Amino acid sequence: MSSENQPTAAMDSLLQALQVNIIPNQEYLLQGSILDTQVQRLLHRLKGLCDNVETAPEQFFDYEVCFSLRAPMNEQTLQMQQAPPPLLLRVRRSNDPADSHMPFQLRYIGNPELGDAKRPTLVRASFDISCSPSIIDFLTEMGCRMEFEYTVKGYLFRKGRMKITVSKIFKAMNMNQEPLSQSYLVELSVLAPSGSDAVAEDMRVFAEKLKPLVILEKIDYKRLATVPYD
Amino acid sequence: MQRDEKHMEMFIENSLIKLKDLKVAIGQMCHKIEFEYETINWPTFLDNFALISSHLAGLSKLLALEYTPPIRNLAVLPLHLSPDPDEHLIQITEGRLPTFAAEVVPDYLRTKPDPAAENRMNLHEAKANAITNDAASKQEAQFKKIVTHIGELITKMKEEWEMESLHRNLRTETCNQNDTQILMKAVGMGIGLSLKTNTPAMLMQQPGGMARVPNPVQMAASSPGMQMNKMPSSIKTNIKAANLHPYR
Repeated sequence: MSSENQPTAAMDSLLQALQVNIIPNQEYLLQGSILDTQVQRLLHRLKGLCDNVETAPEQFFDYEVCFSLRAPMNEQTLQMQQAPPPLLLRVRRSNDPADSHMPFQLRYIGNPELGDAKRPTLVRASFDISCSPSIIDFLTEMGCRMEFEYTVKGYLFRKGRMKITVSKIFKAMNMNQEPLSQSYLVELSVLAPSGSDAVAEDMRVFAEKLKPLVILEKIDYKRLATVPYD
Repeated sequence: MQRDEKHMEMFIENSLIKLKDLKVAIGQMCHKIEFEYETINWPTFLDNFALISSHLAGLSKLLALEYTPPIRNLAVLPLHLSPDPDEHLIQITEGRLPTFAAEVVPDYLRTKPDPAAENRMNLHEAKANAITNDAASKQEAQFKKIVTHIGELITKMKEEWEMESLHRNLRTETCNQNDTQILMKAVGMGIGLSLKTNTPAMLMQQPGGMARVPNPVQMAASSPGMQMNKMPSSIKTNIKAANLHPYR
């Protein structure tokens, strides 16, 4: 009896948590990049600015796959000759053998909202969940398609609620990794319940401290995609 | 100017009130020690002490306020000095201070420098008088030479540093907008991340080329081996998925 009640109780408390807006499901994000030759300067500065001063910065080496799930084609979409935008799901795991016991991570990222000029950061929905390695099989059976994959290797810093990553993006997970560009990707993010605008302000202040080494901005990659790339 | 004076007056009035409070508190303490020393207990004693310290704290807070005029810039000038007892003074100090003279407030009425400082000054003066004019001018010239030399060194160093920092600012480009865009597009949409791996877990791939496929129909045709890719018939997909154990 009680075991039957538990899922409903959990559901209730989850719904209640949603209602009172305490679930950190919004990601406040600023992005930028730094050239390989200058990354040591940035790391040095971050080491001074962030919380984990006395220890070396945390390093990570992850592998991420992005799956897409497309809505089934119906008559209307067939007529329009255009499929509705697919749902994107990301699966990430650590490449580090020491982390082999760590779960995989499944992540959904919503559409970025840029807001007006007054809003200091980009905001997007973000849901994370830990899962077992069979998630890939599961998604495949669900009809998800693998869209792309990459390896990411870099450093993680913390400053209060803020998370700062400086990472190199590599194509695929071959042994002879080739970096995607001559720069490191720099991301400053906070996961918070919606409407936490004070957080965004903190992030703006922190981003100011990293200028002119890195220009952290709110970048809408969706809009970038419409610009022809080389 | 008038405003400043008014300001000052107000400030002095405020501090006088606070000082009076402090005086009363100290007076009560003295009274207690003098007359109630047999019955007084520690808690009351400490309470009185706390009272005095709070008054002191209030006073120092007032002095530390931003709009407080800098009273250290003001000079206190003794207008009238007399060894005879002063009736007015006795009255306002409640009989504690009969005269305003050097014996009572030596620091305020000092006209000579500190004895130690005076001694040192005398020593230096004696030394200065001992050397001849010639030697003095020689020393002066030498000193001047050293000072100008050091000055030159500093200006040279400053110029060098300025040049260097200017150079550095001009030269170092630390980030590249183009690279940012490339990374953004790759991580966000997979643009530039071609699929050419052989990872066994991920079987669904285009035979090379870009990861993005514009049309699901095309996609299904290109990988006929995958049953799950028959996207248009979503119901069938669901049935199939249900039959398979997700954690097999």
